[in-house]
Amino acid sequence: MKTTFKLNGRLVTWDCEPSESFRDALRRKGVISVRNGCDGEGSCGLCSVILDRKLVNSCQLLAVQVDGSEVVTVEHFSKDRTLSIVQRALVDAACVQCGYCIPSVVLAIEELLARNPDPNRAAITDALAGTLCRCTGYEQFYNAVRIAAKRLSDPAYTESMAPEFAPQLRHVGKDREKIDANYLVRGERAFVEDRVDANACHLLLLGSPYAHAWIKSIDTSDALAMPGVVAILTHENCPDKVYTTAGQGYPEPSPYDQRMFPRKVRHVGDRVAAVLAESLEEAQAALEAIKVEYEVLKPVLSITEAKAPGAPVVHGGPVSYVIGEPPAGTSVKGDEREEPIIYQFPLHSDPHRNLAASVADGIGDLDKGFAEADVVIERKYTCNRVQCTPMEPHVVYAKVDGGRLILHASTQVPWHVRRIVSRAIGIPELKVRVIKERVGGGFGAKQDIVLEDVAGYLAWTTGKPVLYRYNRAEEFRVSRTRHGMEVTVKLGAKRDGTLTGILMKVDADTGPYGQHCLTVPMNAVSKSLPLLLCDNARFEVKTYYTNLSPAGAYQGYGAPKGSFGLQTALAELAAELGMDQLELIEKNRVRSGSRIEILRSLGEGRPGAAVTLGECGLGEMIDRGKKAFRWSEPKPAADHPDWKIGRGGVIIQQGSGLPGLDSANAAVRLLSDGTVLVLSGGADLGTGLDTITAKAAAEILGLDMEDVSVISGDTDITPFDTGAYASSGTYFSGNAAVKAAENLRDKILAAAATVLGEDVSELCIAHRGRVVGRTGEVTLAKLAHMATQGEGHADLIGIGGFKTDHAAFPYGAHFAEVAVNVRTGDVKVRRFHAYQDCGTPINPALAKGQIFGACLKALGHSLYEEMLYDAEGRLLNANFLDYKIPSTHEVPDDFHVELVPVADEVGPFGGKSVSEIAVNGAAPAVAIAIHDAVGAWVREWPFTPERILKAMGKL
Amino acid sequence: MKTIIERYQRPSTLEEALAAKQADPGAAWLAGGTFLLAGDFRDKPASVLDVTRVLPRTITLSAGVLTLGAGATFQDLADAPVLPQPFKTAALGMNNRNTRNRATLGGNLGANKSCGSFLPLLLVLDAELETSSGRFPVAEWLAKPTGLVLNAIVKMDPARGTAYGRWARTSCDLAVLNAAASLTLNNGRIAGLRIALGGLGPHARRFPELEKLFEGQALPAKEAIESAVAPLLSPIDDLRASAAFKRLRAAALVADALHAATQEASK
Repeated sequence: MKTTFKLNGRLVTWDCEPSESFRDALRRKGVISVRNGCDGEGSCGLCSVILDRKLVNSCQLLAVQVDGSEVVTVEHFSKDRTLSIVQRALVDAACVQCGYCIPSVVLAIEELLARNPDPNRAAITDALAGTLCRCTGYEQFYNAVRIAAKRLSDPAYTESMAPEFAPQLRHVGKDREKIDANYLVRGERAFVEDRVDANACHLLLLGSPYAHAWIKSIDTSDALAMPGVVAILTHENCPDKVYTTAGQGYPEPSPYDQRMFPRKVRHVGDRVAAVLAESLEEAQAALEAIKVEYEVLKPVLSITEAKAPGAPVVHGGPVSYVIGEPPAGTSVKGDEREEPIIYQFPLHSDPHRNLAASVADGIGDLDKGFAEADVVIERKYTCNRVQCTPMEPHVVYAKVDGGRLILHASTQVPWHVRRIVSRAIGIPELKVRVIKERVGGGFGAKQDIVLEDVAGYLAWTTGKPVLYRYNRAEEFRVSRTRHGMEVTVKLGAKRDGTLTGILMKVDADTGPYGQHCLTVPMNAVSKSLPLLLCDNARFEVKTYYTNLSPAGAYQGYGAPKGSFGLQTALAELAAELGMDQLELIEKNRVRSGSRIEILRSLGEGRPGAAVTLGECGLGEMIDRGKKAFRWSEPKPAADHPDWKIGRGGVIIQQGSGLPGLDSANAAVRLLSDGTVLVLSGGADLGTGLDTITAKAAAEILGLDMEDVSVISGDTDITPFDTGAYASSGTYFSGNAAVKAAENLRDKILAAAATVLGEDVSELCIAHRGRVVGRTGEVTLAKLAHMATQGEGHADLIGIGGFKTDHAAFPYGAHFAEVAVNVRTGDVKVRRFHAYQDCGTPINPALAKGQIFGACLKALGHSLYEEMLYDAEGRLLNANFLDYKIPSTHEVPDDFHVELVPVADEVGPFGGKSVSEIAVNGAAPAVAIAIHDAVGAWVREWPFTPERILKAMGKL
Repeated sequence: MKTIIERYQRPSTLEEALAAKQADPGAAWLAGGTFLLAGDFRDKPASVLDVTRVLPRTITLSAGVLTLGAGATFQDLADAPVLPQPFKTAALGMNNRNTRNRATLGGNLGANKSCGSFLPLLLVLDAELETSSGRFPVAEWLAKPTGLVLNAIVKMDPARGTAYGRWARTSCDLAVLNAAASLTLNNGRIAGLRIALGGLGPHARRFPELEKLFEGQALPAKEAIESAVAPLLSPIDDLRASAAFKRLRAAALVADALHAATQEASK
């Protein structure tokens, strides 16, 4: 059917099938700023367009329905590649993180300001309520709207978005435009899905309907004969090797227990077959024609079931160790029909009893510690599974070009992708190039290789270009989620609050495969226990296989769950002791110069060592929070008798990459006009890492930000980096850029010394792009040009690598004030303040944005989010209608982030990690605040009204 | 394979729409599309009749009669100056503005979901629906939908106090429970009480068993209302909440609505 309408001011006539959604038609016609995050359920808003002056979802609109209408997309505001007032304001307010949702945000604000040029906070909340963003926490959008509204009448209006730091530096510590923000806010080509050629074939996966079953037979003959089908892959014709999908340093602390297609399926959605076809419809038709017979087995659906004697065995295959011996008493002989399990080194596991990994250690004498205590409490905290929900689901575009496999990937770990995919396919790494595109949210889920292996294999073996993109339900079921955990905390203390003993037991559920099975649960301990000084402390971590969805990395790793257990238990102990909870923290927390002995037993995949802390900003952060919340005064009164107010404060920590394990590298090239190109191995997931590496180069080479461009995460072009995980970005990749820029600076100075005839020691770099000596000066442009003219020196390229044994801990204090309705259990977060030490904030407003985003995510986990399974192990809420992530309406009324820097001696310009830590505070702070309000402890998250009423004894 | 829309028609008059429906009785009425077109992987009707240009969209209050065009979007309703507050609350309860800009009153009635935003309110106000097949009390039409809804007509009794509330897990969630109450006061006692609830069965409905409890009574305290109401409700467990919680929460909605309606009636 013909549909004629005005698109961004131009009359167009398109030919569309009656069934085609307007979203699909727009993308088909190249309007790629219109995106898809919820498969047409209308809950994400990423496909927004302005239709006849109203913001609507184009997924729930037929293309033929727009006939006669006027449609505006973000392209309308980007004429001649300039920015509109709204786009400029979003960039200035540091609102562009991954940028996947940002075109919709532009449209929502444009529509708002067109009908309401001076909107208040409620009007902004309403205007953006239909757009989901998982990165930003929305708070800075309010600033952007305010700036845009002011600039409508005063175009020169500006305001500061964050305080400035590091006065001695030109760029570091000052807000600079995020270097990818400009093109992202215009909705330009940036993501994997924007790179797909017209002839791409489509890959679809047949997932198991059962949580645990043998595949008795698969008949693909009918499906293979269907039109458009290129190839079908099953356990019968896939490579016969096992690997881990965890994008961790090799050799990984994760068992190799996953075959590309298993003979025994271990969770609902586990891989049964893949169909590659010329169109999505043909792939779907063929998928439905595959005949599979299953022998259904009893599934293991909880930690309790996994550890029960005689439990069904999730992995019954033979067990072997590359290095080391099996733990005593464990069985290694297994069922040969099952995939083998290969440990790279022992993880105290016993897979035939569903134990994927375990670790236990401690310091001091715990029995003595508890014996000396005046009060001992023991509490169990249950943390259900939560999903990362990047707005861009997992996606890869694989093709063969020049005899090599090219993967356009949305990943946090380009080099791990290259290694794992090349080994899975059986080709050398030189045959594989991974190009990390802009990533529409990663949050840990994209630290795993969840679809690149199949897509890569099929592209390599068929020679066809392969697009594979999860839909939202697959993203929920078969990408990666945070491990379910049960955290038991036993604390002993003297009357005065001095801790005499701490025991933390963590039981975790890794799902059917063991990626991150040791490290995520161990992180629950290693990022919470070292906050407290106690001579007698012990931890016991056990991770079990189950037949639930595969778990993996998620921002915070295991820390949010350990933090919830330990910080809440501490507050429970304070209540027992009749002490103020912050007073108890103060009594026992780490401080400047503390010797942290427990770190001896908390090495991550390697031996640990005790650490003597340098300066620690916790005291200052707690003080600022206490002052803001008027801690010493009575709580504010509620405005209605049904509502009670409560508040809570906690301390948190994380790391900055993995000392002794991570490695990052960068190169900086001086171009012939004196500008520079940074080649960074780091993987920017929307976090602003590329901006940090650009700043390092600009700062060190005396340039402005517009003199620097960054290419990152391309395994052919940029040097190696372990990837963006474990809070490594700023610290490792940022430091690599510093080293590379310093190396280039040294080479520039050496070249300049020759040109100027002065000693290197007499020379320095000066702004902008000059080398100044005692008598003369020369521009970087001149030096670079000389290298192209055969004059004196070679191309000026700096290289730098960074590794360290130094552990840099970011610390924080988070405070919550909640109102709880005593009749209904409803919770409103009235205030949430995050005080954080990220060392020198390299880009303060972006750092704040990272923290806002992490805090709101954590509030979502604490109050709303939970993966729910039925008795057969089927995920019940694999969509945004049933799994609720926060919208603008869930933003606390008073949402505040404050940076309290304590410079780190090794970090780039004194910087430390900033974002990941910020998911650790909300759950305990809110749980403590709920108790403060209504006197009931809620020990299972999310704290739903139902659980709160139960804890209050009302249900 | 899922069924897809193969035939799309957009009549420009009501007569054309009705003739097209007669010629193709299986065709589905399509308005805002937020229900019918939702979900890329859901089956869709093979044939649709787009009535967005046919349905009345005006909202008027004249001589105490409120007329709501079935084509009015939730946003039209939220913006209409003449609309009484409980309707605005119901319209704005759909917190997702993108959806409010498309979803219509007619679609809300046609979908007839258990927690349809306007259904409890229309039920307690004894609204009538003007349809292409005649005029029906809303309860009768919802029990047996027939014809295309053109307008909802509500006689507004100035003595009546009416209130509406909903519970959802988050703001942008679909309602899990919703409730409306409408009453007058006779010497300080509740009279002509009507209570309707959604989320407690396949469709929203009036609850005479609850109305009986309070008719002729002075307004009890909220706790008393809740403990009287809760035992009479039989919700089901689902993934959004347990039956036990829903019983308690729905009773709280009733208590809140009764109190708000009483306050409104005493103004």
